[in-house]
Amino acid sequence: MNEQIEETMLDLLCKKATYGLNPQEEKQLADLEREMGREGESESFELTAAALSMAHLDTSQAMPANLQSRILAEAERYFDKTPESRASSVSAFVSDSDEAPSGSLFNWLGWAVAAAACLALALNIFYTRPQSTIVQGNFPTPTPEERLTPSQMRQRLIDSAPDLARADWGAGNVKELTPSGDIVWSDAKQAGYMRLSGLPVNDPNKETYQLWIFDETQDDKTPIDGGTFTVNSVGEVIIPINAKLPPKNTKMYAITVEIPGGVVVSKREKIVALAKRET
Amino acid sequence: MAQAILNRISAGDSDAVQDCLKTYGGLVWSLARRMLRNSEDAEDVVQEIFVDIWKNAERFDPSQSSETTFVAMIARRRIIDRIRYSARRISADSLEDVLVEPTNRSDQTLQTSVEANEAAKALKALRPEQQQVLQLSIVEGMSHQEISDATGMPLGTVKTHARRGILQAREILGLGSTEIRREVSA
Repeated sequence: MNEQIEETMLDLLCKKATYGLNPQEEKQLADLEREMGREGESESFELTAAALSMAHLDTSQAMPANLQSRILAEAERYFDKTPESRASSVSAFVSDSDEAPSGSLFNWLGWAVAAAACLALALNIFYTRPQSTIVQGNFPTPTPEERLTPSQMRQRLIDSAPDLARADWGAGNVKELTPSGDIVWSDAKQAGYMRLSGLPVNDPNKETYQLWIFDETQDDKTPIDGGTFTVNSVGEVIIPINAKLPPKNTKMYAITVEIPGGVVVSKREKIVALAKRET
Repeated sequence: MAQAILNRISAGDSDAVQDCLKTYGGLVWSLARRMLRNSEDAEDVVQEIFVDIWKNAERFDPSQSSETTFVAMIARRRIIDRIRYSARRISADSLEDVLVEPTNRSDQTLQTSVEANEAAKALKALRPEQQQVLQLSIVEGMSHQEISDATGMPLGTVKTHARRGILQAREILGLGSTEIRREVSA
């Protein structure tokens, strides 16, 4: 009996850590933990999932400056409302000197972040303005802060990936569409880009495009989800691939039209583009 | 130094809020962006996560986990809630969503890297099927049924891999008690 309870509890603990529980399951787990005298067990599973979630996490993407400002403003409201912290908050907001500025530190920081964002935007506009003349002389050394266009990111992958797989897009089962372009993918770098023309602009509230990757690790019935995307302009678009599993030796790629948000398994009713790897 | 931030927040040190944002902003933002895909959803959730972090700061116990892992756990709870109660787990990416701002690698990234390396080692120690299932569930936020549909694995097999994988990882990372360890070797 205890073993069965233990089994159920483990299932619930694991589910809670990986995908969360519904309210009934939460109650069931709480009851079981109490019954087994193991209250608090679930947190160690959640901590494990949290630790694993950091594996290969790319934290190089900076949080938007306006979001930082909003969080700091929220902090001011939150700590002002919390009675036990009010005293210390106030003392911390006011500087050591009596001649402190009238605004709070959070307000000041909010403005500082916003100002930094404006400066960054101005620099970005300056450095990414259209170049119509041939520039001569010493080029600046690229830095980690350099913002690359999708085209540059694609080219950088092509230049640096010795195992690059490439395939040309052709028509799928939607006869009126004649997509063109190509797809490049590197197993070693686990990165790739689609270059596409001829796909109509889609309304993401009604439908989305979804890439599927056929490779040697998955059965053809269940290809790897390569991510959803929106085409929001006419002409050539370049889209980074966001594979949900690491593909290996890719052999074919397909783009389908799916419901907003994408699907786990496609019915393949509208295949708008297909690309077979040339080997 | 970084490990004291939550204690300082629970003590009402308002400077610690800025340090918290500076230290964990990148981690929280990256987790939200990776699991939610849509930057609008991610922005809403990240704001809520930081409120959760302040509320739960006093619960942090350094004997149970690192502060970074605790913050990631708080973040995941909120992100999972959003995924579970939204119509669909992933919103469509637009090109602008994927290609966002320039990188800003600073000390908080390095701190997270230590944790990320340990996690990567723990994942690598698991069987490939366990890695695959945990990758899809923990990183992509997919349910066991969705993983079964997406990979063709029977649902029971998915559950087994998820359970054994997380138990083993828990042991490798030293995050759990010894009571359930016997399951790992099963």
